[in-house]
Amino acid sequence: MSITDARVDAPAGEFDPTRAWRVHPQVALRDESFGALAYHYGTRRLLFLKSRALVELVSALDRYDSATAAIEAMVPENERAQYTRALARLAKSEVIDVH
Amino acid sequence: MLLSEEQDVQDTEALSEDEVDELLVEEVSIDGMCGVY
Repeated sequence: MSITDARVDAPAGEFDPTRAWRVHPQVALRDESFGALAYHYGTRRLLFLKSRALVELVSALDRYDSATAAIEAMVPENERAQYTRALARLAKSEVIDVH
Repeated sequence: MLLSEEQDVQDTEALSEDEVDELLVEEVSIDGMCGVY
């Protein structure tokens, strides 16, 4: 591992909203009426994303330079703290990772 | 109906931060389903 690799790869589960995130390559999202199911083929974890807005946010993360930028663009101000915690929860379960 | 609405407000206020977050993300254990497939 190079010094650059060590800098880029955040420890699994640690959420830094100032960094760029994406849906983990081993995660499949399946749309449901309540939001989406997220299944991680590596960890075999299954999570419910129980908001369409959260699904759209998670799906769009890779288009922004940071999670904060994505949240500011897509989430009303009074709900940002809640959605930031939701992303932290998804990072902890490795549904999203740094890219 | 007023009582019902007041109850809803009280229920929301009683939720902890973690419980509110559970409204958005919930992890489900599928360990017990290994023998199903």
